[in-house]
Amino acid sequence: MPGKKGLHIESSGQLCIYCGACVGVCPLNCIYLDETRITFDEKICTRCEVCVKACPVGAIEIG
Amino acid sequence: MVENLTTDVLVVGAGPAGSMTAKWAAKSGARVIMIEKRQEVGSPVRCGEGMSKDWLKEVGIVPSNRWINVEVEGARIFSPSEQVLEINEKHAGNEVGYVVERDAFDKQLAIDAANAGAELMLKTAATGILKENGKVVGVKAKRFGEPFEIRAPVTIGADGFESQVGRWAGIPTNIAMKDMDSCLQYRMTNVDCDVRYCDFYLGSVAPGGYVWIFPKAEGLANVGIGVQLSQIHDMAAARTYLDAWIGKHPAYSKGKTIDVVGGGVSISPPLKQTAGDGIMLVGDAARMIDPLTGGGIANGCIAGKICGEVAAQSVVAKTPTKEFFQAYEKGWRGRFEEKLYRNWLAKEKLCTLSDATFDKVVDALQGVKLQKLSVHNILKAVHEKYPDVTREFESFL
Repeated sequence: MPGKKGLHIESSGQLCIYCGACVGVCPLNCIYLDETRITFDEKICTRCEVCVKACPVGAIEIG
Repeated sequence: MVENLTTDVLVVGAGPAGSMTAKWAAKSGARVIMIEKRQEVGSPVRCGEGMSKDWLKEVGIVPSNRWINVEVEGARIFSPSEQVLEINEKHAGNEVGYVVERDAFDKQLAIDAANAGAELMLKTAATGILKENGKVVGVKAKRFGEPFEIRAPVTIGADGFESQVGRWAGIPTNIAMKDMDSCLQYRMTNVDCDVRYCDFYLGSVAPGGYVWIFPKAEGLANVGIGVQLSQIHDMAAARTYLDAWIGKHPAYSKGKTIDVVGGGVSISPPLKQTAGDGIMLVGDAARMIDPLTGGGIANGCIAGKICGEVAAQSVVAKTPTKEFFQAYEKGWRGRFEEKLYRNWLAKEKLCTLSDATFDKVVDALQGVKLQKLSVHNILKAVHEKYPDVTREFESFL
């Protein structure tokens, strides 16, 4: 999305441990955990970065 | 096509709080369905596995060697300079007890719920809520990927830290960054742990949280950390701090990790609202975790029993309303809300302490025989040796 920084959640299992910390902390409830798949709603996400901090293993990046 | 279902009480999530709710609702005569999105109750584990024990009888849980790894004698608090404060069980009140096998514990509670008459549906995820005239009347769900509906006069959100059900129902469960810890834990073998103690390391090794060592057997321990979101800045802070701590402790750096566990832990004040028309929240979903210790099992189970009983009563009375559920609000709040609030205030203060102050606090307590470990007693002891340290805490005294 032009002008907006992109959120990237590494949920292929290389980093992500599917713990749900990002899901619980998202103030807009736009991150979804489905067993071993994490997705988020690009349209709702405001890039507040709370999930980036909450992730214990650094699987979420905003760049 | 999966058939739509109807029941009296629908519990979303088969963790300890959900299973306790399901069990006590069923025991009180309600038809109960408990759904769980995973294929297996209790797995994967997301917990440090330390648990107090003096509340088990109150909620009807019988201790069993199937889920107890170790019964500890006490806790050891390590200051930043690693002065040790030993707290035995008698003084720690309910803060020490067992190190458990959480998956086996959760399964036992699910078995208890099933044996009480509750139906358990695995691989069944709630995907949304059903509302009629502003009241919650069940959930939309998927079972093995197939959509269907479960309708019930009472829906219980026991869906853990992620807490979707409450949000869908419009109950505010958001938490501030300062009220959440990001946690990571390694289960490590070949370590020199002491099976008599749960160990806690305070200070800048874990900003706004602590490092814990919970022994599961000789040479085997859960080594974990919680760090407060408002005090960390870099990505993967929990892992970075935990790895740094382990690197400085040869008794653990020689160990081998056999399991990695992560998750969020709320360290917030109690929610103002945990019930609405047709809905109640319980356990981590209701932010019932003790903000000082990070422990949530006891409170979740105690509230679960009350929640299950009130749910069943509301079905009999045909009034599953927010008003009727005040019996639940009053029940759990009367039992432990004040402690949650007090410990939240204590946590707020502790998070501001420097390493030097932590050292003074532990030093002041070393020579003192505390009758009971409470915030008040701790502050009194510290006050006698370092009055300057306690000045900030005078409201607690």
